[in-house]
Amino acid sequence: MMARAWLAFCALFIAAPIVVVCAAALNGGRSMLFPPQDPTLARFGEFFAGDPVWRTSLEASVVIALGSAALATLAAWPIAYGLWRSGDRWSRALAGLGGLPFILPPIVFGVGLGFLWSFFGALGSMAAGVLSHAALFLALPLATISVGLQAIDRAHLDAAATMGADARATFRTVILPQTIPYTVSGFFFAMVLSFNEFIVMFFVSASGFATVTLQIFNSLRNGFTPTMAVAAILFIAVSGLTFAAIARWGDLPRLMGADPARADD
Amino acid sequence: MSVAAAEAPPAAAALPAPRWGRLALTGLVALLCAAPFLLVLVISFGEKVEGGSWTWGLTLANYERFFLGHDWPNALSLVYPQRLWFSVWYAALGAAFALALAFPCAWAITRRSRRTQAAWLAFILASLSLSEVFVVMGWDVLLSRNSGLPAWLKALGVTDMLKDGGWFPLLIEWDLANPRDLKFKTSGFATLLAMTYIVFPYAVILLYPPLSRLDPSLAEAARTMGARPWKVMRTVVLPAVRLPLIGSALLLFVYLLGAYVAVTVFTPPEKQTLTVTIYDAVRGQTLDAPFGAAQSVVLLATAGLCLWAAARAGVRR
Repeated sequence: MMARAWLAFCALFIAAPIVVVCAAALNGGRSMLFPPQDPTLARFGEFFAGDPVWRTSLEASVVIALGSAALATLAAWPIAYGLWRSGDRWSRALAGLGGLPFILPPIVFGVGLGFLWSFFGALGSMAAGVLSHAALFLALPLATISVGLQAIDRAHLDAAATMGADARATFRTVILPQTIPYTVSGFFFAMVLSFNEFIVMFFVSASGFATVTLQIFNSLRNGFTPTMAVAAILFIAVSGLTFAAIARWGDLPRLMGADPARADD
Repeated sequence: MSVAAAEAPPAAAALPAPRWGRLALTGLVALLCAAPFLLVLVISFGEKVEGGSWTWGLTLANYERFFLGHDWPNALSLVYPQRLWFSVWYAALGAAFALALAFPCAWAITRRSRRTQAAWLAFILASLSLSEVFVVMGWDVLLSRNSGLPAWLKALGVTDMLKDGGWFPLLIEWDLANPRDLKFKTSGFATLLAMTYIVFPYAVILLYPPLSRLDPSLAEAARTMGARPWKVMRTVVLPAVRLPLIGSALLLFVYLLGAYVAVTVFTPPEKQTLTVTIYDAVRGQTLDAPFGAAQSVVLLATAGLCLWAAARAGVRR
């Protein structure tokens, strides 16, 4: 009973600012009021068809999120595979390095990337943005793919070996199919977090381009406006749908580290 | 589930790993994941050049300026150590509050059916991925004077009650009121609230595995022996997850050391943290990249120390 009450309280705590942001997008005026005054849907039109700044930044957000998530997943596969297969010093060092940017304060990583890209003369380019986020979120597909590889039933591998499958065939018929849900989850984790990331992109973009979160922050001098709230709604919806899909088609409790032995209680 | 499967490498043959592929991957990871941190370290010994640029160097002047002030040895200034102290202070409190909220929440989630657990985790993850920018936007409205909590509290008569009760001098001292009204921005309270909110989902996600792996028969046994729920929690559950709890606290702390948007919007200028001065030095008004790098190194060292402690707490498990 008390547990339920506490869960309800936590749900309320999480939902409160989200609900407020969603409602604030309906404001007829320029200021963020709650409850909204003169409710209108005009802000949605403004976001998608008004000032092109929002459409451009949305495009940048999407390109960087998809590109960096794909790159991170591609790079994470061989690292996770090596870690699982041999677990030698090299693979462990590689995995450790790959997880570094995610675990340390992102502002420091952003400052460092700013230096790095200005050496290559790539500061402010979208390519630098994609690579930077791929490095920042490499840890996520690395973690989910590792969980997936560990979840492979050893008996399947033994069976494949006794039936004479070589490494390639085992990989294609046993390892890959069983880890696809985890790979996809890792991709989406990286994508959603890249979509919402702000501070690293802030240093890397150097005003060369702006993602939506950056654009909002840059226009913050005049305070938050209902048009920004529309962007927030869009982003919240993308995150919500993505994780709902992972929960529906993937094994979210296991991915998050629940005891696999108790999977069917 | 065999324990051996996790430890011994599987029987099947490994895919061939070409040497050049391995080298290329290592090079890429080193360049993108390690080089930025190394650059920050190296540039922190560099020197500022007039006009916003900088050169390589081997001087400790930036660190001296950080710890002793610009005008040392004529005068001692502790502005930057104080900034670091605010970083640590907010991060520590935010992490502690988030854990206190999240522990019972994660515990309650693990007691539900697998399907309900998945739904809760999806909800928590969706809020976890929410950009700091949007979190701050939401709380900005909730705490604003004309349409948020202060207005509602006034309408409910709480503001007048507090005034009559003589609480206002204290609230004013805490930045939570002006002589006439309650106001929550900018204040340490708003900063902490936003920070707690930002890491709360991380706290649940970090506490979920140890709590869900906890053998339910332990708590069951304690209950059948007549222990009340609170006693079960205190004598069985908490000791069993003590180390993951410490580890999570340190991870959340490190995460909050990097909070930026919440600080710029919610924190009174004189109490802002190191992230703000790092930004000012690298991209903002002061434009002194080596000094910004030195500040970053101090922040990094603080974070590294905590992560090292967290790893040790994990190893001893």
